[in-house]
Amino acid sequence: MMAVLVAGIGGDGSGTAAARTAARVANLMGATLVLVFGYDPSRMGQRGGPLAEEVLAIGEHAIAEATAEIKALFPNLHIESEFVHDRAVDALIAVAKDRKAEVIAVGHGGEGPMRGALLGSITYEMVHRAPVPVLVVPDEDETE
Amino acid sequence: MSAATQQPTQMADKGLKGGSLGLVAVIVIGVASTAPGYSLAASLGLVTEKAGLKAPFIMLLAFVPMACIAASFYFLNKADPDCGTNFTWGVRAFGPKAGWIAGWGCIVADLVIMPNLAGVSGQYLMLLFSESLASNIYLTTFIGILFIIAMTWICWKGIELSARSQVLLLGTELVVLTLFAVIAIVKSSGDGIERTIDNVTYHSIHPSLSWISPSGLSMSSVAAGLVLAVFIYWGWDTCVSVNEEAKDSATTPGRAAVLSTIVLLVIYLIVSYGSVALLGPDFVTANSDDSLYALGKVALPTIVVKLLLIAVLTSAAASCQTTILPATRTMLSMGSHGAAPGKLARIDPRRLTPDYSTWLFGAVSIVWYVFLVVVSHNTSRNLYGSSIAAVGLAIAIYYGLSGVSCVVYFRRWIMKSAKNFLLMGFLPGLGGVMLLYVFFKTIIDNLKADGDRVLLITGTGLLVAGVPLMLLCAKKYPRFFTFRPDPIELVKDPTSDDTLAAPLGSYVKGSR
Repeated sequence: MMAVLVAGIGGDGSGTAAARTAARVANLMGATLVLVFGYDPSRMGQRGGPLAEEVLAIGEHAIAEATAEIKALFPNLHIESEFVHDRAVDALIAVAKDRKAEVIAVGHGGEGPMRGALLGSITYEMVHRAPVPVLVVPDEDETE
Repeated sequence: MSAATQQPTQMADKGLKGGSLGLVAVIVIGVASTAPGYSLAASLGLVTEKAGLKAPFIMLLAFVPMACIAASFYFLNKADPDCGTNFTWGVRAFGPKAGWIAGWGCIVADLVIMPNLAGVSGQYLMLLFSESLASNIYLTTFIGILFIIAMTWICWKGIELSARSQVLLLGTELVVLTLFAVIAIVKSSGDGIERTIDNVTYHSIHPSLSWISPSGLSMSSVAAGLVLAVFIYWGWDTCVSVNEEAKDSATTPGRAAVLSTIVLLVIYLIVSYGSVALLGPDFVTANSDDSLYALGKVALPTIVVKLLLIAVLTSAAASCQTTILPATRTMLSMGSHGAAPGKLARIDPRRLTPDYSTWLFGAVSIVWYVFLVVVSHNTSRNLYGSSIAAVGLAIAIYYGLSGVSCVVYFRRWIMKSAKNFLLMGFLPGLGGVMLLYVFFKTIIDNLKADGDRVLLITGTGLLVAGVPLMLLCAKKYPRFFTFRPDPIELVKDPTSDDTLAAPLGSYVKGSR
């Protein structure tokens, strides 16, 4: 069975840098890279309709961009994507368990440790809950 | 699993995976979004003012229409799980105009409650430190504004507490409320106690079963009590709607809904019993601004009183789940379906929340809050009382409409079986009629000379303001107003496997 690396992509493309690093490793290993977009509208008060659709569209767009970027760098890499109806961290953990991933790669938006702990940074939670090693890669400057 | 594709550009499977909420978490979320501590703090004194010793009866009675409406939510949600809820369902059952007004009713209810939420939070936060601070209206207003900003920011940022921290916070809240109720009932059962405050002496009253019977109440006081008390169950329907995501969705949802309802009912019943018994209903009424605190001081040791204050505060914060979120999701849905400016549907790609709607709602809330504080300060009306009753009015109209929508929308299927008739027809219809009755009865009662003008202005005035706004939107967005209600023969059986209706806007005037 092929080894798997999992990377989380945010709606604004955050995590693309992490995915790129994961892609480099996966390319060397001959592994599959799985890009994951997780979102759970029900937890934020309401369920489906335009919110869920538009969020999914945002996720698809972000993943398509990240995939195109990585494909250009590593044309032979096998890339898959998953959209999970759950919070980002739970989504990543579920996919990692499901696929028996070697590593989960996540971006880091530059929150300090206090802010991360109080405001529930994805990176912070991931580091404490992940069942497999976590690769944390700083996001690029948003102003690029 | 099938979501994985090799070519991410052609995402074949649009279905997002189901989540993983367990039984306890679903119960917790259901109870937490009803915010029992805050709901009691805000409405207890007002209910005793209308119903006296019968407050526990009103608390129980208010549950009836809300439970009936939950049935309509359940079925309508199967036809269209749109985040615009009443707005979308109103369009499907009655057409664009009624739908628009139902959506507006939801936004108004959420808007009207914001001053109360902010006021109670400001007051209870100050009470943590000193009573003199809590009576400083400038300070509490300032804190209230900060509170609205903080809540708006949280909703914009998409922060949600993990299920575990919710269990902890809600657990504390329920334990403190139960402790308070038990101590209050015990203290009032024996010889009782008495307190003299401002030359008025209050005595405890022996708890009696007659408090849950309606005898001796006029229809006007029942309606006035109900319009206040429906507010305490507001948000309970969230529990029904998150159920779809629950683990093992065949059994968990039903059980969770039933259990969280029992927890809520028991809490409201014992707390209202304890509050009324401890020093009589007049004491609760006299302290309606901070009744739980005033009662807690009499019944509980200081440290538990502080816990009670914290419980009310966290509960108030949690209730932003039932205020800002539904309002902004309704705005989003209206914007997205072309019934209102498209900007309302804008979503922040990083936070995945409707940013424009959220900040707009926060800003309007602050303006409305300051306006009400100024008005009530200069006219010495009870701002809190009027705003809770005004919310009750708005809830009554938009929940009432969704009950009626359910009956009208599913009229084809109601007679199919006795179960259908009960759950899809009778209960939603009963809830709808009860709430609409309460709505009109309250308005008529308050039109009398000694009526509550602030209530009329905040409650009905804002609702009526929706009509010119709707006409304006009809001019600017004519396409939405050509939508037709779903044709009766195309409404699907909500008890079958295939329940989803065609997208909103599939049926328009002049086409088939």
